[in-house]
Amino acid sequence: MIRIGIVRPLAVAALFAAPIFMDRYTAHVAVLALIFAIVAVGLSLVMGFAGQVNLAQAAFFGAAAYSASILTTQQHWSPWAAAPVAILVATAMAVVCGLPALRVQSHYLGIVSLGLAVAFSSLLTNARFTGGASGLFGIPPIELPGVDMTDDYNFYYLALTALLAVGAFALFVANTTLGRRLEAMRDDTVAAAACGIEIPYYRLTAFVLAGLCAGVAGVLYAHFVRYVSPDTFSLNAMFLLLAMVIIGGQDSIWASAVGAILLIAARNLLSGIQAYQQLVYGALIVATVVFAPRGLGGTTDLVARRLGIRLPRLPLPIPRPAAPLPQAVPARGRAAGGTALEVVAVGKRFRGLNALSDVTLEVAVGEIHGIIGPNGSGKTTLFNVVSGIYRPSGGKVRLRGRDVTRRRSHQLARLGMGRTFQNLRLFRRLTVLENVMVALDRDPVWEHLRYVVAPWSVWSLERRRRARGLDLLRRMGLDEVADVAAVNLPYGRQRQLEIARAVGGDADLLLLDEPAAGLNAAEMEVLKSTIRQVRDAGVTVVLIEHNMGLVMSLCERITVLAHGRVIASGSPVDVSTDQAVVEAYLGAAFEGSKAV
Amino acid sequence: MIWFLQTAVGGLSIGAVYALVALGFSIVYRTMGLVNFAHADVVMIGAYVTVTFFLTARLPFGVALVLAVVLTGALGVGIERVLRPLESRDLNLMLIGTIGFGIVLESVAILVWGSTGTAVPAPIPNVPLHAGGVVVTTYQLLIVAVSAVVMGMLYLFLDRTKVGTAMQAAAMDRVAATAMGVNVGASNALAFGIGSAIAAVAGAMVGPLLYVSPGMGASIGIKGFAAAILGGFGNIPGAIAGGLIFGLIESFSSGQLSAYSDLVTFVVFAAAMVLRPTGIFGERTADRA
Amino acid sequence: MRGIRWFGVIATAAAATLACGGQAVQQGASSSPEIKIDVIGPQSGQNADLGDWDWKGVSLAVNRANAGGGIGGRKIVLTRYDDTGDPTTGANLAERAVSDKVTAVFGPPQSTVALAALPILTGASIPQMVSATSGALTTKGSKYIFLDTPTSPIIDTTLADHLVKTLQASSIAMISNNDAYGVGEHDSFLKELTQLGVRPVSDKVVTPDQKDFTSVLTDIRSSGPKYLFIGTEEVEAGLIAKQSRALGLSATFAIGSPGVTPTYLSTAGQDVVEGTIVSSAYLSNDANSGTRAFASAYRKAYGQTPELHGAKAYDGMNVLIQAMRKTPGDLSGPKLTSAIRSITYDGLLGTFQYDATGQGIKNSKIGSIKSGAIVPV
Repeated sequence: MIRIGIVRPLAVAALFAAPIFMDRYTAHVAVLALIFAIVAVGLSLVMGFAGQVNLAQAAFFGAAAYSASILTTQQHWSPWAAAPVAILVATAMAVVCGLPALRVQSHYLGIVSLGLAVAFSSLLTNARFTGGASGLFGIPPIELPGVDMTDDYNFYYLALTALLAVGAFALFVANTTLGRRLEAMRDDTVAAAACGIEIPYYRLTAFVLAGLCAGVAGVLYAHFVRYVSPDTFSLNAMFLLLAMVIIGGQDSIWASAVGAILLIAARNLLSGIQAYQQLVYGALIVATVVFAPRGLGGTTDLVARRLGIRLPRLPLPIPRPAAPLPQAVPARGRAAGGTALEVVAVGKRFRGLNALSDVTLEVAVGEIHGIIGPNGSGKTTLFNVVSGIYRPSGGKVRLRGRDVTRRRSHQLARLGMGRTFQNLRLFRRLTVLENVMVALDRDPVWEHLRYVVAPWSVWSLERRRRARGLDLLRRMGLDEVADVAAVNLPYGRQRQLEIARAVGGDADLLLLDEPAAGLNAAEMEVLKSTIRQVRDAGVTVVLIEHNMGLVMSLCERITVLAHGRVIASGSPVDVSTDQAVVEAYLGAAFEGSKAV
Repeated sequence: MIWFLQTAVGGLSIGAVYALVALGFSIVYRTMGLVNFAHADVVMIGAYVTVTFFLTARLPFGVALVLAVVLTGALGVGIERVLRPLESRDLNLMLIGTIGFGIVLESVAILVWGSTGTAVPAPIPNVPLHAGGVVVTTYQLLIVAVSAVVMGMLYLFLDRTKVGTAMQAAAMDRVAATAMGVNVGASNALAFGIGSAIAAVAGAMVGPLLYVSPGMGASIGIKGFAAAILGGFGNIPGAIAGGLIFGLIESFSSGQLSAYSDLVTFVVFAAAMVLRPTGIFGERTADRA
Repeated sequence: MRGIRWFGVIATAAAATLACGGQAVQQGASSSPEIKIDVIGPQSGQNADLGDWDWKGVSLAVNRANAGGGIGGRKIVLTRYDDTGDPTTGANLAERAVSDKVTAVFGPPQSTVALAALPILTGASIPQMVSATSGALTTKGSKYIFLDTPTSPIIDTTLADHLVKTLQASSIAMISNNDAYGVGEHDSFLKELTQLGVRPVSDKVVTPDQKDFTSVLTDIRSSGPKYLFIGTEEVEAGLIAKQSRALGLSATFAIGSPGVTPTYLSTAGQDVVEGTIVSSAYLSNDANSGTRAFASAYRKAYGQTPELHGAKAYDGMNVLIQAMRKTPGDLSGPKLTSAIRSITYDGLLGTFQYDATGQGIKNSKIGSIKSGAIVPV
């Protein structure tokens, strides 16, 4: 990301000054470019930030344009009255088209949204009230007292203001909690749910944001061109939008807007047969996806690196033991003693494969409990059941006495459960700090109404959360890499980050799935001391591990699984000498050896 | 009753075409894991190549069809090389990249053959056969027959030949297949070639029924994809079922609601996906955390 | 390092702005040595033929005029733009024409697109000559629109009259599409039928992009019509005709201008179109010596045989040329339009004399297709 500094304000100033140099046709094209940039910003939010494939964006744009047109021509409303209704229509349509996103993702969602766009086109082309294939003419211009809004130059300033307003709001969303949650959802849905994010609501929210942007653009379009026809919002328009956002850079608001402006300018100011232009932008899409998937916006980083502009070096300090975490005041009545987790006769069946059968175990508050067993014995499956990712086929799970068997991942996160994953599930494109901030954020979805009602409170919450995040990172020894993208960290640090994220969620119960995998000896020591300190702060820890030294030295009690069943349970010494365990897992050589 | 049967006949014949498109699409996905949005435009290219041999070179339709299948299949192998880098990208990007490639194909078609399009006369005397008030044209029967033959051949190939079985193995586990001596790269290219060849058949058959134009990929393609997904993505019988169902939905909604058929068809499709996200025959896979 | 980035971005922004501004300096139309006329029409999409025919007819006329010394020594320069058949693009191109301060605009030939461009050109006082036939063009109150063809109402009234009065037809079905052209066709044909006391046995509307007409035609077939009026553009008309026959619908086709195009014939197939009744101002290249001369010049220039659309574009452009020759010193909008209205032009389609609404020719002829050629009836 280019540092904001002086470049962008200068670009904005240039945009304000530009009409002085433009003839009428160029101004006309420029207004169209600005309007499309607004749509592109919406597409960037839903696709780039939230990862939802939305090929119906042009249809939302059309819905707003047509609504504004119909209300002002057939119902004779004033454009200012029709505008909010039109935006509402576009947003409602976006929600409806977003419903399939709750059930399907990725290419399925792509085809479904494309199909809905075609359906919308069909409606526009056929219905009488939409003017059929001819469209609607004679849409009245926007009325501003004293200003002629049929003048392209005047409209340019209106469109520019709208783009800056929408862009500012989008940037505000993107750089604060809502945007972060959307990105977390995009990067890893499972981990996001485990951090308390209610995925369905956020998917719909992404579509709402897309619909709002498209709605604003649609109203502007209708009163600028003052003519709408189905062709304008067809699949060709959608593919053009897609090209704008991909070539510009879908995960950057600025880049998407710039992409839109560039493509519209190129399309209208270059003459030539349309087929050649299509060829070029189709080829550009392919080239961008293959060589620069993050678009021009991402390429600037690449270029900067090539030009020898140095990025901050990743520090690789010797891992030092983390500073002791303060004694946490028991949050939800964290009484010492009692049972943190009860698993009663839990079974999990996958179409004929019994992954878990009749598994029962109990973990006391403040205990470090180990779960061991050969590969395929169902350890991770057990975690998945306990943490709400799977529904058990039978049995019960209780958290502090409360039955949580049917609860889902994000609900359990809210109830104080945190976990790490066997195959590292970090939010790869977020920074280390942002990863942790996602976990620190405990607000339910409706808190996001703040954005509309009290935006300044979003900002202050953001600052506080940032401070807490940095504090946590400091204590975990990760503060030097706070601004590094998670994917760029060395492996050991990534593991540390995952634990920091789980801890940061203020969990009472921590499920760690093979936290030591791939760590070297020094990193292992840090891990041990971190786990001990976390437990000393009042957190119960359950861990799956293959590293027997770690297990024996850390865990107070151990449960052994084999073939989905519990074959032994008890203290480390008891378990390591149990005959069944030795046969199934440890091997005779381990018998009698001391803990490392 | 007559109306019902007549509409069903229309639906089945166009449905057979959709089934072929869905089939080609599914083969590539099943064997390579590639979601190829440009497939629809390969259908279009196949149609145009057939037309060029049939009308311009005046070859018999059967010969033109075979030539088109071979050429388009070869083109498919070439396309696979171009799209190969996309196979390792995430699915969203893959979808978008292939959309871009489809746009390229469409532009090339416009530049080579013009944008107006051509009508194609039926290769056999298109006699309307009357059966109790319902009209079935001989050409419609031909479409269904050819589609059935292609599906049959595909089934035999995948399940009964060594090469076909190897192709499926490569899809399930590249490494293991390579360890067993399967040349995965060649297998993928072959899969793509076969998918494209089937696309060519679909394109060639639909030409005389409707119209050949550079934009035909869009309309037939989207429905073909949706059909593949409706039936369960990657699932061969699913692709066939999906295609026929789509054809029928389209035909019936077009009969009752005239031009709103697209609207109805795709809303029904969206609803079906919400109700059963993996499609009719699709498998439910569990998220491995 | 920061400095490099600043410089790069600012330089690019400045360059871009200046590049856009490069078009800012414009010459007044009268002081430029050339007469600029924009030709707007589809070069892509299904109806690209319409754009092609317009362009060929217009170019032929302009090349002849320029060879003969131009207008008062000034040459006419044509610039061609692709509206892709999309009204919004057409409107944008009209804006561009206004920016370029052209003397006149020829096209767009599709009614929907022409209607979109009309208010922009009229607002800038630029005369617009179109090959489109929609009656709506003449009712917008514009003094700057001119048609080089009779309107749909006239074409279809002539057709309806022929069917009902001459052929005593009573069982007529209608199929039309819902773009501006199709709606115009539908409304004017139906109006005349109603006036003549005939009700259509079936009246179906389809969309311009539709390719499969099975269910609609099945419906029509069940009402057993003897004649089927087709109110769509040529490709769609051809497909409708072709599928009608495939469904066993044997009604005789009746159609306006699209019926005389080679596109209709090739799309439907010669067997299918046999017997189609057409209504058009220009039926055949053999009508008289003038048309024969035109046809041979066209063939020489383009290697193709012309038909109605090339002919009407040729006529329309010649009307403009003759008007410009009448007032060579002042080609401004108001002057040129009154010049157009003051002349009489003997063209291939007939005699042109423009009224206040923009219609210059108001009659149509009936023909029928026999063995692939159009024979006057």
